[in-house]
Amino acid sequence: MDSLLLNNLGVGFTIALSLQNLVYCFFGVLLGTLIGVLPGIGPLATIAMLLPVTFGLSPISALIMLAGIYYGAQYGGSTTSILVNIPGEVSSVITCLDGYQMARQGRAGPALAISAIGSFFAGCVATVVIALFAPPLAEVALRFAPAEYFSLMVLGLVGSIVLARGSLVKAIAMTILGLLLGLIGTDVTTGNLRLSFGLPELSDGINFIVVAMGVFGFTEIIINLEKGRSREVASKKVTGLMPTLEDLRHSFGAILRGTAVGSVLGILPGGGAMLASFAAYTLEKKIGDASRFGEGEIRGVASPEAANNAGAQTSFIPMLTLGIPSNPVMALMIGALMIQGIAPGPQVMTQRPELFWGIIASMWIGNLMLVVLNLPLIGIWVKLLTVPYRLLYPSILLFCCIGVYSLSNSAFDVMLTALFGLMGYIFVKLECEPAPLILGFILGPLMEEHLRRAMRLSRGDATVFFTNPISGVLLGVSLVLLLITLAPAVRRKREAVFEE
Amino acid sequence: MRVKNGKDFWAGLMFVGFGLCFMTISLRYPMGTTAQMGSGYFPTVLGGLLAILGGAVFLRAFVSKFANPFHVFHFRPLLFTAALVIGGAITFAHGWLKDMPMTKYALVGMALASFIGAFGPRALFVILLSVVIFGYAIKPLGLVLAIVLLIVLSALGGYDFRKKEIVILTMGLALFGVLAFVKGLGLPFDLWPGEW
Repeated sequence: MDSLLLNNLGVGFTIALSLQNLVYCFFGVLLGTLIGVLPGIGPLATIAMLLPVTFGLSPISALIMLAGIYYGAQYGGSTTSILVNIPGEVSSVITCLDGYQMARQGRAGPALAISAIGSFFAGCVATVVIALFAPPLAEVALRFAPAEYFSLMVLGLVGSIVLARGSLVKAIAMTILGLLLGLIGTDVTTGNLRLSFGLPELSDGINFIVVAMGVFGFTEIIINLEKGRSREVASKKVTGLMPTLEDLRHSFGAILRGTAVGSVLGILPGGGAMLASFAAYTLEKKIGDASRFGEGEIRGVASPEAANNAGAQTSFIPMLTLGIPSNPVMALMIGALMIQGIAPGPQVMTQRPELFWGIIASMWIGNLMLVVLNLPLIGIWVKLLTVPYRLLYPSILLFCCIGVYSLSNSAFDVMLTALFGLMGYIFVKLECEPAPLILGFILGPLMEEHLRRAMRLSRGDATVFFTNPISGVLLGVSLVLLLITLAPAVRRKREAVFEE
Repeated sequence: MRVKNGKDFWAGLMFVGFGLCFMTISLRYPMGTTAQMGSGYFPTVLGGLLAILGGAVFLRAFVSKFANPFHVFHFRPLLFTAALVIGGAITFAHGWLKDMPMTKYALVGMALASFIGAFGPRALFVILLSVVIFGYAIKPLGLVLAIVLLIVLSALGGYDFRKKEIVILTMGLALFGVLAFVKGLGLPFDLWPGEW
């Protein structure tokens, strides 16, 4: 490590360790654990709810808190998976398989402990990965011309399409629908009002919190109510928290592998915590004794839990360096930056280094807090699980509504959110994954702007996207990704992975 | 021809609808040239693409190897038509309704309610309607009463309604809402019905 990096990290730690930021970091990870433990509410809806609130905070405090919610939820989600066999978060679905079995065998304590230890280790490594890789990436991106930016966004969208579950064509269609919805409002380049259906309320476009809250928050509640599920806590009492030395030795390799898989997959467009945990589990099963998995194998807990935490953190890299979100949560982070008046992109790192390094340092501190929060206080979280959903959802609904209303103190936004809730419900029922829609929505105006600029610079010659080397490579990679996914063998495999 | 995959059938129709809708609206905006794109260029192209993809999904519904029933979720055509008729009437009588804001609100509310009610289960209708009511109630009625409305109405959409619990929950949330959002975060809400 060179001294510049150490110097930067030092700056980051001074910022992250200030009393105010420590408080927001703590609040973020606490809230993250809470909503992670509770099934039926995810980090996405929570961050969307809190976005209007962050307006009053300094940018750095706001991002530290929101980031804490995301990786905090990865810790909390595993608790529910292990104890109740219901994933607290989508990224801990896979932890249910072996975690719940361990709990049934009376080994809930070691399962919880190893998942916290694995997450902590992965979090620390991921922090270093971000610190090492983000700055050079931003440097490259700073030299990007409009054509290259456009192609980069295409790659980002293709990534989210390829990784969406279900039909590829539907995912592409959802992306395009998202792009179109993002264009509603005033055209930035010409100042013309367009696609606003004559409604003056739409002249500033649809706020993406409205879309996210409707399509994710409301829809989730409605689907949960429709299912009308009940849940029971497997073991109310968790005894013998510490894993044996044998457990630790046995799962050490799994944690290492999970961290590596998670760090890589988090960076990829469309990646993030969920994909990372699935991939890590599959890898572990290939390496180890496959018959023991699903029967309470501790590696089956350690590896995906390490991976989802690593993935959650490294997915900040494209967001912070390129200004391109790799998953919906990162799209919300971009929104938080924009609320603060900071244009996301590679210039953030050079113009606001304290922001970048402060977040990095806070992640490490946040992970430390999480270990303390999750292990000794596990009893409290278990109690929380006994809160019935019928009390939970009206409360969630209230926070969503107040959050949306306070965007511009207008009932119109609330009504629009309800309409997106309806759309979200229809999307789920028709098996149209909403994640690509949200990414498209965020990238729509940006993409159009760069497309126009690139075309103006090339005097209307569209071949510029292929003759420019970087842009050409990016588009080529996108094309190859799409073609690979369409190939029959991969298609079958992909369907199998999402079936699990 | 039989529809093998109902989900593809409806999704295809939905995408085609959205695509054509966006495309026809965008065609009214200046197109410009490839070097100087106008406001209409990008959305027209995207709308067309969406319609084509939607068409592909629609056609796939007839040959798909995945079998899904034609009826994916409840759909009440009567309510849906009612929503369209009322909505159309409002647009048509726009100038005439200007002097009667209350009537207009009531009509818009009816159109919206029947539109949402045309789809899906009871929970969908109750939850979304309670949200809309909250949005329109908060200004005239104040935060406290709006919270009461939201919680009680949305609780009715659940599968297990317990009176006593809801009363306590409502009071707790109203108190928390006032303390956290108005006193704590300083959001500019009226607490009680004001002069309007």
